[in-house]
Amino acid sequence: MSLVPGHSLRARLLWFLLAAVVMTAVAQALIAYRTALAETDEIFDYQMQQMAMSLRPGLPVGAELEDRFAAPDEDNFDFVVQVWSNDGLRIFRSTARAELPQRAVLGFSNVQARGTTYRLYSVAAGSQVIQVAQDLATRRQMAGTLALRTVSPIVLMVPLLMLVVWWVVSASLTPVARVRRQVAEREADDLSELNESGMPDEIRPLVHELNLLFNRMRQAFDAQKNFVADAAHELRSPLAALKLQVQGLRRATDAPSRDLAVNRLSAGIDRATRLVEQLLVLARQQAGSEVDAKTTAVDLTSLARHVLSDMAAAAMNRQIDLGLAHADDSVVNGHEEALRILIRNLLDNAIKYTPPAGTINLAINCQDGKVLLTVDDSGPGIPLADRDRVLDRFYRVSGAHGSGSGLGLAIVKTIADLHHATVSMDDSAALGGLRVTVAFASAR
Amino acid sequence: MRLLLVEDDLMIGESVLDLLRAEAYAVDWVKDGEMADTALDTQTYDLVLLDLGLPRRDGLAVLRRLRQRKDRTPVLIATARDAVAQRVEGLDMGADDYIVKPYELDELLARIRALIRRASGRAEPVYEHQGISIDPVTREVLVNGQPVVLSAREWAVLQLLLARPGMVLSRRQLEEKIYSWKDDVSSNAVEVYIHGLRKKLGAGLIQNVRGIGYMIPKGKA
Repeated sequence: MSLVPGHSLRARLLWFLLAAVVMTAVAQALIAYRTALAETDEIFDYQMQQMAMSLRPGLPVGAELEDRFAAPDEDNFDFVVQVWSNDGLRIFRSTARAELPQRAVLGFSNVQARGTTYRLYSVAAGSQVIQVAQDLATRRQMAGTLALRTVSPIVLMVPLLMLVVWWVVSASLTPVARVRRQVAEREADDLSELNESGMPDEIRPLVHELNLLFNRMRQAFDAQKNFVADAAHELRSPLAALKLQVQGLRRATDAPSRDLAVNRLSAGIDRATRLVEQLLVLARQQAGSEVDAKTTAVDLTSLARHVLSDMAAAAMNRQIDLGLAHADDSVVNGHEEALRILIRNLLDNAIKYTPPAGTINLAINCQDGKVLLTVDDSGPGIPLADRDRVLDRFYRVSGAHGSGSGLGLAIVKTIADLHHATVSMDDSAALGGLRVTVAFASAR
Repeated sequence: MRLLLVEDDLMIGESVLDLLRAEAYAVDWVKDGEMADTALDTQTYDLVLLDLGLPRRDGLAVLRRLRQRKDRTPVLIATARDAVAQRVEGLDMGADDYIVKPYELDELLARIRALIRRASGRAEPVYEHQGISIDPVTREVLVNGQPVVLSAREWAVLQLLLARPGMVLSRRQLEEKIYSWKDDVSSNAVEVYIHGLRKKLGAGLIQNVRGIGYMIPKGKA
């Protein structure tokens, strides 16, 4: 235990408790002392009064009674008795030790004499004044003894109390030590949950939050790991294809096989080019989401019409019926070029994964202050389990044989985020394939 | 030699298929993990060229199943996954070799040859017997120091017989190994190739075990 109440909960508890106990003891002593003093005052004052009264019948003038008073009342040797005559002559003094000044004030008073304070009671009896006095130190001493007696049990209890507190705190902190050990013993990549059972209520929320954090970190790590694996695959495959195509070209011996090899190589270059372009688009949009904050009102419906007519040829090549199913007039705040890329990627994705002779519908609906851009297709759809991940870069639904870059929907998501729009995926009720909905806030 | 190519990337698959066929390998190409499983279950191959990131079933799962069936077919993993941990995992799971994309075709071919050679229990690359020397790398065949030119199919047959000298292979076995699914098999093609080989290399090299098949006697390095 450190001597300074630093960061140790236990040390701090002990120190504060010790301070509290000491303060309580001091306060109690003080109160006890005050009370005792008041009580002794009362008792002794009464005693002094009684003593004075008993002398009231008077003393013979000139009588020397010093011995008479001093002897029988040994207990009250603290008391000093003096008797004065009216003309200021001291006619009696109980002891030679104390000599008190004559006081005209009757009743109780405090007087200073020879370095001590006396409590003095004067009473007039006929032609005499009787004074009874007592040294106040006696009273204080008695009160002090009483106060000490009251406080001493508490003082004796302190070490015991400290021990008990020490033990209770230690026992209560055992679960904390256990958590600490669990965390200390784990491997760097171990993000499994800590055991929450047996935790005190004060600590369980902390452990719970820790577990939630571990979960989030695990998810982030997994996502990162997946991304790296997916990216390695998607970036290397076009290069691997190119390399093989070049080697095929080099080995081609006759004109037809050379032509075939050249065609393949050219297709491979197109694919690599497209990948690079998509990467650049993604990078530009991600950079844009931080830098370029200027937005303009964009007529989404007319933009969609434009993109649709641009894509019509590509759809026709695959005998796909691509069309606008519904178009409310709509305006959203955003970046026209980015929105164009978003719509093109959505349609491109649909065209790529819809088998020939399929159907793709684009629709724009305005409702409740939202602009909903939906693309339905008659393709194979995306299994529920994959829907969260298809928006990740380079993620490809297993079983899909597409020649895409794996970035199309990631670009859609990035642009949607830039416009504070949401991307959701459902089964297409009308066409049986996938329905992608991008929900924008309407600018009207 | 019959190879199974497991590759989901169409461009890579096409190129590898052509290049391997040009090397006189009979190649079957499947594009997902489940198909690979089925192919490996129904056909014996001399080597599997396995991609890992496959649709429907991961390449590693295909490999695990293959080894669970106690199938000892050499497996060469060709993948874009290049982390050391992934290579270790692949090899520990039963792969015989691991090559990372993009790779050099020559290296791929050399690794394929090495795996096939090892699987046949041979370490030395050049076969020599009775004045005939056969180099599978350069495909150089020397008879008494004179080079001989072989057709692709003749080479394929010779290679098969060379893979296990002293072992008799039936006509059926030879057919299975030199043709892939897509090839038309004519009834007496193997005899034709054997005939051609005997003509070029001398009748003594390939011996006919009547009623059973053909073999090349054990040579010396």
